[in-house]
Amino acid sequence: MKEWYQKIQSAGCMQELEELRIAILGKKGVLAEQFAKMKDIENKQKAEFAKRLNIAKSEFNKLFNEQKTILQARELESLLKSQQIDVSLYSATSNSGALHPVMQTMEKIVEYFTSMNFSIEMGSMIEDDFHNFEALNLPKYHPARDMQDTFYFKDEMLLRTHTSPVQVRTMLHAKPPIRMISPGAVFRRDYDITHTPMFHQVEGLLVDKEGTVSFANLKFILEDFLKYMFGEVDVRFRPSFFPFTEPSTEVDISCVFCKGEGCRVCSHTGWLEVLGCGIVDENVFKAVGYKDVSGYAFGLGVERFAMLIHHIGDLRSLFEGDIRLLGQFV
Amino acid sequence: MIITRSWLSEYINLDDISNEQLCETLNSIGLEVGRVVRYDIPEDIVFGYVKECKKHPNADKLNICQVDVADEVLQIVCGASNVRKGLHVAVALEGAVMPGGMRISAVKLRGVESHGMICSASELSLVNINDGIIEFDQSIGNIVLGTRLRDNHYLQDTLIEIELTANRGDCLSIYGVARDLCVAFDRSIKSKSNKNTDETSIGIGKVLQLKHPASVDANLKFKVLDIKNISLAFLISLRLAQIEYKSLNTADAFTAYTTHECGVILRLYDYEYFKAQGQNDKAIVSLESDTNGFLCVQGKGRASIVGVMQEKDSLFNKNEGLAIAEASYVAPGLISDQMSKSKIERSSSFYLSSRGSNPDLKMGLKLLFLLLQSYGDIDIFGGTAEVLNHKEEKVVVLKLHEIYDIIGAKIDKKKIVNILQKLDFNLEKSQGDTFIAAVPKFRHDISNKQDIVEEILRFTGIDNIEPKPYLLKEANRLSEGYFRFKKLKHYRHKAAYNGFFETIHFIFAHKQELVKYNFDTVQNKLDIVNPIVTTMDTLRTTLMLGLLNFAGQNKKVGNQNMGLFEIGSVFTDKREEVVKAAFLYTGSFEQEGIINSATSTIMDFGHFVQLISNIIGEVTLSKATCKHSLGHPYQCADILQDNRVIGSAFRLHPTVQDNFDLQDTYMCEINFEALSYETVHVKAYSKYQSSFRDLSLLVPKTMEYATIKKIIQQSKPGEIIRFYPVDKYEDKSLKNLSSLTIRFVLQSDEKTLQDEEIVSCMDTITSSLKDKLGLELR
Repeated sequence: MKEWYQKIQSAGCMQELEELRIAILGKKGVLAEQFAKMKDIENKQKAEFAKRLNIAKSEFNKLFNEQKTILQARELESLLKSQQIDVSLYSATSNSGALHPVMQTMEKIVEYFTSMNFSIEMGSMIEDDFHNFEALNLPKYHPARDMQDTFYFKDEMLLRTHTSPVQVRTMLHAKPPIRMISPGAVFRRDYDITHTPMFHQVEGLLVDKEGTVSFANLKFILEDFLKYMFGEVDVRFRPSFFPFTEPSTEVDISCVFCKGEGCRVCSHTGWLEVLGCGIVDENVFKAVGYKDVSGYAFGLGVERFAMLIHHIGDLRSLFEGDIRLLGQFV
Repeated sequence: MIITRSWLSEYINLDDISNEQLCETLNSIGLEVGRVVRYDIPEDIVFGYVKECKKHPNADKLNICQVDVADEVLQIVCGASNVRKGLHVAVALEGAVMPGGMRISAVKLRGVESHGMICSASELSLVNINDGIIEFDQSIGNIVLGTRLRDNHYLQDTLIEIELTANRGDCLSIYGVARDLCVAFDRSIKSKSNKNTDETSIGIGKVLQLKHPASVDANLKFKVLDIKNISLAFLISLRLAQIEYKSLNTADAFTAYTTHECGVILRLYDYEYFKAQGQNDKAIVSLESDTNGFLCVQGKGRASIVGVMQEKDSLFNKNEGLAIAEASYVAPGLISDQMSKSKIERSSSFYLSSRGSNPDLKMGLKLLFLLLQSYGDIDIFGGTAEVLNHKEEKVVVLKLHEIYDIIGAKIDKKKIVNILQKLDFNLEKSQGDTFIAAVPKFRHDISNKQDIVEEILRFTGIDNIEPKPYLLKEANRLSEGYFRFKKLKHYRHKAAYNGFFETIHFIFAHKQELVKYNFDTVQNKLDIVNPIVTTMDTLRTTLMLGLLNFAGQNKKVGNQNMGLFEIGSVFTDKREEVVKAAFLYTGSFEQEGIINSATSTIMDFGHFVQLISNIIGEVTLSKATCKHSLGHPYQCADILQDNRVIGSAFRLHPTVQDNFDLQDTYMCEINFEALSYETVHVKAYSKYQSSFRDLSLLVPKTMEYATIKKIIQQSKPGEIIRFYPVDKYEDKSLKNLSSLTIRFVLQSDEKTLQDEEIVSCMDTITSSLKDKLGLELR
């Protein structure tokens, strides 16, 4: 019997094992042969003989099952091995598209201000002189109008030069307190390396009772906002001039490229101008019929933010639909 | 506005202030520094005196000079045309290293030894004043031979260009900037105009008569002077060159210099220009309004327009003789307004007058005379002829707490008083915590409380204000704008996930191109007056041309497979703004690689519509014809949602495709407003198993699926919950028929359908297709 045991244990495949099983346990197998001998054995020894055969039978079965498990595992392993692939062939680049960096930046800005409980207001791109200029303390031929060359239509309408008319329209139909931002495209008649005739702004406005909104409030929110946008930067406020705010300031951040050391991008000043803001001029409130109120306003160019955040060197590349640029935002 | 450190120093002591501090302070008080130029004259450049000057024997253009530099007399060969005996010059000694890096050493020029070089301004990197070598005079102080040029602060100077905001006319002069700096550095301004200018005993009345209407809305002062001699001093030339002013003549140089220094608009007229012929010796100056409403000074003809320009003919253009000096002021609002009504040619004085020139006419004339006396010889006639009609008196009342409220911080009252007084506000009438501030006449920009608070803020230093959060009243501010923004975001993100790159195109278009492809254009009477370039001469009426142009550009740089989209505003012919979403896919929609054995699939109509549907939800297509001519005439469809047409999709016309050098391209434009952004409401759904059955029909090739679909929809039992075409097959054996396989999904709300029930449903479909369309099963 021992030789059979060894044969089972050295069976190399399932087929060989099956042949052995038939040879041992089959109808004409070794065991069957032995059982057939029983009839020739005396009764006295018969029980003993049968017992030995049964032990052998169960031993065979056990060995078969053990060997079967081993062989099955081996066969599965070899099947799996045959399915091996070179995974390194499948390194993939994304097949999806991407959002435009300017729109993504706009989203990021809008998310900040909505989380600070500002409403979003939108307006139309075609405006009239009153909402775009006069109501904002910019009478005709005010020298400050030189700063923003305007596209006009034949019927004296114009393309808005900033999103401020949205503020004016909101104030005209709503009562204070107002806490809003207006994101959108604006237009100036300027086209060179640093100017495009269309760009995007987000402007903000807060109006509440007289004596409640201060410059210190403006400083608080803008410092916090700029740190949210650019990380740990220094923020500097410089007095400036906008017809619709008084006091007016421009806001600089320490250069994100050279950390304030001075480089080409910041013209070696260590600072980058990113925002304009101020306390709303009383003439603006007069124009919309508000009395006894105070407020602040601010405005920023989204393209400039996007360029600084993503290190985009050329403003015009943002309006070329070039997937060499856009493909990097996948 | 260009200032120089040395010029500024005539009004404010800057000895202890470094250039860095100066720039930082200018920035912090709102005078933004745009450009800084430091004139750095090399070592070993000294003052010399040309004692002798002889022609070089072997060279026409060279001179041999003996130049005294105190310690020795150097022989220098000089090629400048203006070199001559008696000049004070800049001498580069042997060993001097010039700004360009050249080292000066003794050389022989055509056989004559030369020990050093006589320098021109540009050789020293100073601004270019004249052709040839510099000719110094006493205007830059007493010249001591042999001393270094770099020790002279007029030469070793710093130039700062300030980017002045439009409201700050008061800082359009050296004096004005000095006044602001005096507040920032807390020091007093130096006065020049208290110096005396002697006047002769002859009164102006004997030589000049001023005629004017009663209603002149301007201030003018006239003085008459007898100029014996004037010449242009080196310092004046130097500084006018620094401020980039090109003077017409000597008199113009003197007035321009003084105007830049004090901000008063000044003119020097030739007395003869006003002398009436045949009369006695009196000049008659008359003020008249011209047909445009501008106030003019008239002599023989128009001499000047007040605040705008001076005629060349009236300019004092001699070295001696009688001249009339004029100082004028016209309110900036008035002159800008007038200019807006009738545009005439402007000059530099309009820039100043429209932003606010200095109304202190007396100071302007005084400084002009002091300058003329320093560098010439003049007699001034006694008295002044003047009109002083324009009065601007503004008083602003504000309380201390209002200042605190606007700034959001408490500021020491004494400090406030000091700032305002230094800025020439008169606070004499103030009481307690109420300031009654008379605004100085030169501050046109100040008219209300906030204007004054700004002055306080800029000199207090914004950096010193502690940021404070605004105390917010809770309010729901999720406005319509918020949901519009969310909707936009939703669709933009879906488009990007589905393989489209977001683009932004200017809202402008080329009218010619719109017309070429049969798109609507904005009506002529509503179009742009002043386009910036002809290729952007109108508003776009479609997003598709922008996408197409972008695709063409990308192809040019080697990218031929891409999806692009834009969601943005376009305009109707009536110029109404509507938001559209447009999509373009060109080339293959997967990269060639291992997964497809280097054969990528080119985009086709079905896949394109699938992508669009992934973004905007379930769509139905129906046959359509494009209004524009971008579309393939036989592959063009209306896109429907909820039985409404919301846009169109098409294959790009092969001709257009060739124009843009593109591969197979599909496009679609959708009315963005028609896309839904609503909450999903879940419908009840069956708990029982669904089954499907396929029907293969023999269909005439010309029959559209839409026809078959309509019949099925009309006759289908409720158990058929969905059906859609899965295969279309044609071969020769089918002749003019094709085999169309439609899959039917069946499900009941009440039970699992039995085979016989399914068969009965399918029989209904089969028989109605046969009855109504004569279609047989294959």
